[in-house]
Amino acid sequence: MDEVLRLSHVSKTFPGVRALEDISFDVKRGEVHCLCGENGAGKSTLIKILSGAYQPDDGGKIYFDGREVSLTPNSALKMGIHTIYQEHIVFNDLSITENIFTGSEITRWGLQQRRQMRQQAESVLRYLKSDLSPEIKMRHLTSGQQKIVEIAKALLFKSNVIILDEPTASFSSKEIDTVLEIVRTVRQNGIGVIYISHHLDEVFEIGDRATVLRDGRKVSVHPITGLTKSTLIKDMVGRDPSTFYEREHVARGKVALEVRNVTGNGVRNVSFDVHRGEVLGIAGMVGSGRSELMEVLFGGAPIVHGDILIDGKKVRHASPKAAIRNKMCFITEDRQNTGLFLDKSIADNVAVANMVNTSEIIVKPSDDLATGEKYLKLLNIKAPTARTKVLNLSGGNQQKVVLGKWFNTGGEIFIFDEPSRGVDVGSKQEIYKVMVDLLKQGKAILMVSSDMPEVISMSDRVIVFKQGQIAGELTGEDITEEAILTLSIGDQKE
Amino acid sequence: MSKREITNAAAGVKESLFKRHENLTVLSIFLSFVVIIVGLQLISTGFAAYPTFISPVNILNILQQVAVPGIIAVSMTMVMISGGIDLSVGMLASLVSIVVSLGISRWGLGVVPSIALGVSAAVVLESAMGFIISRTRIEPFIITLGGMISFQGIALLLSNSREVVMKGELDFLTMNLIDGARDPVTGLVLRLPPYVLVFFLIALIGGLTLTYTKFGRRIYAVGTNPRAAFLAGIDVANMRLAVFAIQGLLVGIGATMLLARINTGIITLGQGLEIDTIAMVVIGGTALSGGRGNIVGTLIGVLFLGSIANAMNMLRLPSEVQFLAKGLIVIIAVSAGDISSRISDYRTLKREQAKARATAAQAKQGGADKKQEPQAELQNPPV
Repeated sequence: MDEVLRLSHVSKTFPGVRALEDISFDVKRGEVHCLCGENGAGKSTLIKILSGAYQPDDGGKIYFDGREVSLTPNSALKMGIHTIYQEHIVFNDLSITENIFTGSEITRWGLQQRRQMRQQAESVLRYLKSDLSPEIKMRHLTSGQQKIVEIAKALLFKSNVIILDEPTASFSSKEIDTVLEIVRTVRQNGIGVIYISHHLDEVFEIGDRATVLRDGRKVSVHPITGLTKSTLIKDMVGRDPSTFYEREHVARGKVALEVRNVTGNGVRNVSFDVHRGEVLGIAGMVGSGRSELMEVLFGGAPIVHGDILIDGKKVRHASPKAAIRNKMCFITEDRQNTGLFLDKSIADNVAVANMVNTSEIIVKPSDDLATGEKYLKLLNIKAPTARTKVLNLSGGNQQKVVLGKWFNTGGEIFIFDEPSRGVDVGSKQEIYKVMVDLLKQGKAILMVSSDMPEVISMSDRVIVFKQGQIAGELTGEDITEEAILTLSIGDQKE
Repeated sequence: MSKREITNAAAGVKESLFKRHENLTVLSIFLSFVVIIVGLQLISTGFAAYPTFISPVNILNILQQVAVPGIIAVSMTMVMISGGIDLSVGMLASLVSIVVSLGISRWGLGVVPSIALGVSAAVVLESAMGFIISRTRIEPFIITLGGMISFQGIALLLSNSREVVMKGELDFLTMNLIDGARDPVTGLVLRLPPYVLVFFLIALIGGLTLTYTKFGRRIYAVGTNPRAAFLAGIDVANMRLAVFAIQGLLVGIGATMLLARINTGIITLGQGLEIDTIAMVVIGGTALSGGRGNIVGTLIGVLFLGSIANAMNMLRLPSEVQFLAKGLIVIIAVSAGDISSRISDYRTLKREQAKARATAAQAKQGGADKKQEPQAELQNPPV
């Protein structure tokens, strides 16, 4: 097997973050090379370098077929390096044929050769053992079928390397089998496949080699034959202890929130409780149903079955309004799109959620401003006045504005979804301190996080999600990276 | 991800005067327009006569002309801040005028019940559109376009495609409140009908509602980020419905005023009203995408658009030119805000580049070869 693509000593720095550090990596023709690592280990950055979306820092070299090259999105495509991202990039209202050929239509005298394109599309679909008609609109396909179309496109345009980023996330097991079968077909064609998946089972089923990344560094590369899951997981864990936060612990109080057999929004039969004075960490891979469950609890998505109890009383959250009235707060993971009104001032943002709790019709902008100033000081938000538009703040300060918004409602049960995502180290510490302060006031915290040090250092207990269900619960000393990873990606029986 | 945030922070929290006072751009364009017209008048008369454009009688004239579109522009502002748009207001106004005039002159309902009937019809029809818009994902543009066409149909059916002439039953709405007053300069009779005051009253209430009530603040939230608004406990669907109901109320009131001026219920009465009101609101700085805008801006837009035709007449320009001028002013007024913000973004970028060059030079002196890095960073313009 000869090598087709090689990275040599590649690093990538973003302002303030070292995303990749001295990575050497290669893929051979006809092999499936798996990339493993936790959320944030650097897999996505590596893919973006391979697809030409990011340029590596000086000093890193990329070789294609033995020649040194520099990759741009265009030149990568010309070399036959196709990246198939987790989210589909498709034209929903165009047919399969049109989706495959858009941008590289077959033309003669400027006219599209529709029949020719159709035939080519059909033959590649048949080759992949799919019986889809090339005339069907993308809109009508399942995401598994859309994935097949994308792979078909890559095959048709003489690929040398196909990069699959989480190709099976949120697929049914039958669809996963189809995709794996297709990857095998692709491999037989002498194409190098880079395969990223959170599901270790797939890695073992299909991979030839596996490279493990952790915190932007390459930890190891193993041939799959003879490799065990526990070896792989051991390589993925093992963070620098200095990234852990030393947290004060607070005496546990009564149960604040009880979730009984809740089903809905992609989550199945989930039960747990959260006490006052404790942080219940919710771990699991991205897409395992954690944020979806939080939406259900907060009334943002309908509940199909099950009960939610607050302070022992059954509640029904038809909308977030009801949840806020029941003293719940939801710090969402995507603050720019679901947490903030970017174009509005800090004061406006802080005032907005508490409106459901007040009965006054008339509001005084000066009162809102005073409240805004109060939280500016309380949370140490770095802005000249509460009139400042949120748009102009840094990530950490924006997150503090979101906190201010919820503190202002006087909530008791806090859901933190990725509390420190995109936040600088200083603000991170401050946010953790604020969370502990909340516990001291007898409030309860549910914390969804993909940041392992955060989960481990902040949680009193951790429940781990896998495919919309709880895979297990960990307490005290048992909360380790290895245990969490084993539950979230490994075989449960192992 | 953090890149954008960092650039924003670096872009500085200090904003230009025009950015801080959002109405200042349009106001300055409007004022320069006034200055230009007055200047032209002075020049053409050889500085001999008083520029009639700013004479009290002319200002009152303009106010009478803009009062009705102005009333509707107030609710249009609310609809557009919430992220919607309403194309049906013109035809709805025609429909209301026909209902009210029929009520008075054919159905013998009496003046007040007829007006009540017309206004409530407008509220019901707008609420129906608002209901569909708030409960489905269909664009307001399409629903209100459909509304516009169907209202035309209803109006034609009711009036048998004819005009409905009244005998001046609504004259109390057009009486002169300052009877006997004369313009000190020209000596012409001054007229101030009640509906001009109604316009100011409605604008005042609308402005206060948007700034000082929970309801008003929530309209902004819904328009800026509906998802975040929903998660902050705001009943987004009902907010959307409510702004359309208000639109109905004000269209009803406006159409009655218009009917009082013309004295005839006719299908052409509200023609082009949707274009004018939307133009006024947009000139006033309200974003089509929602979330931004205010009544003061809309007031400026109303006066601005209203005075164009008037000024053209004063300068004896043919009426055909008025359309061109109106159109150009919409484009200029709306682009001005964008251009000024682009200029300030560009300046920030330049400043940052200079700073980055300085640090790069320093780094070079220190022996580290980091030339590539700051430049790559600057390829992303501040958003």
